Amino acid sequence: MSQQPLRKPETEPDDSTEPEAAPSEPEFDVVSSDEPKMDAKKFVTGDVKYTADYEYEFQTLATGKIIRSEIAHGYVTDIDTSAAEEMDGVYAVLTPWSDEIPDQLYTSAGQSYMEPSPYDMKALREKVRYVGDPIAAVAAKDKETADRAARAIQVEYEELEPLLDYRRSMDEDAPQLFDPNEVENKQPGNDYERNLEMHLDGEIGDVEAAFEEAERREDMVVVEGEYEAQYQSHALPEPHTTIVYRNEDNRYHVISSTQVPNHVRRMLAQLFDVPIGDIRVTKPALGSGFGGKQTLLLEPVAWALHVAADRPVKIEVSRREEFQAMRFRREATVRVKTAATTDGDIVATDFETLANSGAYGPHGLTVTSAIGTKPLPMYPRVPNVRFSADAVHTNKPVPGAQRGYGNPQGTWALESHLDEVAHAIDMDPVEFRERNHAEEGDIDEISAITAGEGVKQIIQSCGFAEAIEKGRDAIGYDNIEQPVADHLHRGIGVALTKQGSGVAGDELSAAQIKMNEDGTFVLLTGAVDIGSGAVSAMARIAAEELGVKATDIVVESADTDTTPHDYGTYASSTTYISGNAVLEAAKDIKKRIKFWGRKMLEAPEGNLVLQDGKVVNEGTGNSVTLEAIGYESIYGEDEREHIMGQGSFSTDISPSPYGAQFVDVTVDERTGEYEINKLVQALDVGTAIDPGMAEGQIEGAEMMALEYATRELLTFDDDGNPEVAGFRDYPHPRASEMPPMETILVEPHDPTGPFGAKSVGEVPTNPLPPALANAIRNAVGVRIPDLPITAEKIKAELDAQGE
Amino acid sequence: MEIQLTINGKAGTYEVAKTESLLDVLRRNGYTGTNRACDTGSCGMCRVLADGEPRESCVLPAVKADGMEIETVEGLGSQDDLHPVQEAFIENSASQCGFCTPGMIMTAVGLLRENPDPSEDEVRDALDAVICRCTGYKKIVEAVLDAAERMQGTKVAADGGLVDPNTEDL
Repeated sequence: MSQQPLRKPETEPDDSTEPEAAPSEPEFDVVSSDEPKMDAKKFVTGDVKYTADYEYEFQTLATGKIIRSEIAHGYVTDIDTSAAEEMDGVYAVLTPWSDEIPDQLYTSAGQSYMEPSPYDMKALREKVRYVGDPIAAVAAKDKETADRAARAIQVEYEELEPLLDYRRSMDEDAPQLFDPNEVENKQPGNDYERNLEMHLDGEIGDVEAAFEEAERREDMVVVEGEYEAQYQSHALPEPHTTIVYRNEDNRYHVISSTQVPNHVRRMLAQLFDVPIGDIRVTKPALGSGFGGKQTLLLEPVAWALHVAADRPVKIEVSRREEFQAMRFRREATVRVKTAATTDGDIVATDFETLANSGAYGPHGLTVTSAIGTKPLPMYPRVPNVRFSADAVHTNKPVPGAQRGYGNPQGTWALESHLDEVAHAIDMDPVEFRERNHAEEGDIDEISAITAGEGVKQIIQSCGFAEAIEKGRDAIGYDNIEQPVADHLHRGIGVALTKQGSGVAGDELSAAQIKMNEDGTFVLLTGAVDIGSGAVSAMARIAAEELGVKATDIVVESADTDTTPHDYGTYASSTTYISGNAVLEAAKDIKKRIKFWGRKMLEAPEGNLVLQDGKVVNEGTGNSVTLEAIGYESIYGEDEREHIMGQGSFSTDISPSPYGAQFVDVTVDERTGEYEINKLVQALDVGTAIDPGMAEGQIEGAEMMALEYATRELLTFDDDGNPEVAGFRDYPHPRASEMPPMETILVEPHDPTGPFGAKSVGEVPTNPLPPALANAIRNAVGVRIPDLPITAEKIKAELDAQGE
Repeated sequence: MEIQLTINGKAGTYEVAKTESLLDVLRRNGYTGTNRACDTGSCGMCRVLADGEPRESCVLPAVKADGMEIETVEGLGSQDDLHPVQEAFIENSASQCGFCTPGMIMTAVGLLRENPDPSEDEVRDALDAVICRCTGYKKIVEAVLDAAERMQGTKVAADGGLVDPNTEDL
């Protein structure tokens, strides 16, 4: 017998960690202010330095270039490097058989140790599995010579039949990509003879019984659907770039455009068998990441080239390589089936995912499982839930982590499908979601339904209700006017979204802070700013706690030699995880500042607070400036101390930001063409540490989602050759193509976040595609289940409907 | 071969290779504020003003730039003395990763010289030449409109630069 829908529990179970009581209306001096990003000036003056800007510091620097497979599947049988080697200015040529290339498997996934990704690749590859696989490399005196040398390298192949359609990957007659012996650190459920990288499943309640009952009962419906999502490129402004050299201490210094400096250091140490302490990884400013730089991608080849050439080597990939041989969002199909009561309660959900892992498996397990485990907990009271996930290989480019991390594909399926469920019971789609969505105090078990990432947790803050209410008002949900022309139809669609704040139970960040003589501070944080303003956010968090201005804090970050450990920027972790570590460090140094304040104020009693750059005795009103404390502590007569603090943060939970996307669309029934009149996204990010940057994240995410929803992105010919080679082929939205956007921040104070903050980087990326599809369904009654949503598909559905 | 360039008001002679772009020459000579993103002239991130016109420096051969006046983001204002467009980008949170920002700013400066009071549509059309991956363009458009307002009341000097009418006579 299946369970009936669960209601919110009356009391929280006692195994919970009791959150600290949060002030009902927190007031902040620095956090949430509309001051601009602290370090913004360097970005608008050109003073900021990205990785490629460091090449001019090396007089003997060589330019590296990777030679990539021209076939989708086969073996490299011979590489003739003689012509390239003879060229003037060519310092090194490497092939899979070179001594400098480690005979060792690894994964490119920049994840924590031990990575939940198969070790299935080598730095240069004899067996090639997609057009773009790295097979050789050169280092030369400049780019022109490197390009010429690369062209002179002759590669011979033995071609194999390519496998291009992931829905066929497990067929008996499908070409096999991996011998099981060619893979280490295999992931659960793998079956390489069937091209299956991993399989996971899990169940809560009894889904079969719930569906059987629902089929019998008149007050229940069962709705099924299948949804498809496409590839997407990160289209990063700054191409992946890496410089590797030996510094004056004979240590390896890797300057790299990476989101994960500490993972890169550990993985390089493992791959090249050198002590971790012999490697320094620094991350300059990053021309955005979006998950595309959560990888170990160019570093191994640049490393091997710098050893072979015995000089500093830089690799900066071309735009073509960005679109063909870096990392991508993966294709996926979701079959989803739901039973609901006619009153609008969801009773059972069955969610089956098949995702294309392309040629290799980095992030295959975690992204594919996230397709279900991230969106499904938006409805945590559904009592019967089953989820299964298969990740399969094809001879197509390698998907990895991309903003949303499986959630855009899953939300596309779930939020499209739930709209159909609402229609089936004749209930307003907003009301249907309001009946079922997560609320504060709910227990989320679904996040932990599989053995993938995610743990059972109690929802401690949830702004769904407020986000829906405000979004609904802003879009004018209740009073839309239909166009005068009979062939035009206007509709509004809604979709919900949630993400996490870090990988639950698998994060660590640490920070140190030291006070200067004048009462300013130097903050050392592992936090990796990938373009979202994280450095400024960390300064704000420390400043808020210490009663100073953000500009009183100098931030040093993302240098494995000098800044404390941090797993890196992914999974929406930085504000929450790194921010909590910074807050811990600030609290720690505050104790020492108060010790000195008490001493200098000669105040054994009385509560001391830090405000406006002073330590104030609340009882007497007496105060001493941080500058006086700074000088006294460093140069004092009787006792001296460099005032410092440190903090380290890890947690088992990952609080979710929640939000609602509304899309207002007008569809032309004659052609299927549609125009988006307005986008509204209302998002609960917890406290917005920097509201301007938070809004910018949301608006940028909507653009990325609009691209995913409306345009065919990466295409391939019948042999697996990619057809997109640059921005001319990739339909990136331009300024005049963006519809009006309204962004609403909903800020419930999360009791576990730094000053109540959760995350914002990924959550806004998920809901636009289904909200658009739902708006079109609302306008003209047709459902588009596969991305992109094109006029041709709408027209075809309208024609079919008319027959 | 040698070419003559005036970069941000400074005239100089530059040794360049035939295959080099203006972007190569700028970056090699310390003007790294201009970023290389596509190297095919299709994303606009490397835009500079060449004889006052926004140009993709990655596809402008250095030899063809011979004799041109080049303006890059470095010449606009310093961190201690920002240009109004730079100020507006900061105050409107219009720069996230910042990689497109110099191309955006130089395009905006070019636009505002031609059209000091543009409509939102005119701003968007001008910015169509530059791709931004982070912002969804909204805050950039707002920054350019804000910059136009900030620059109201300023005059254009004979050399095309901006002067403050309160301190200098034309």
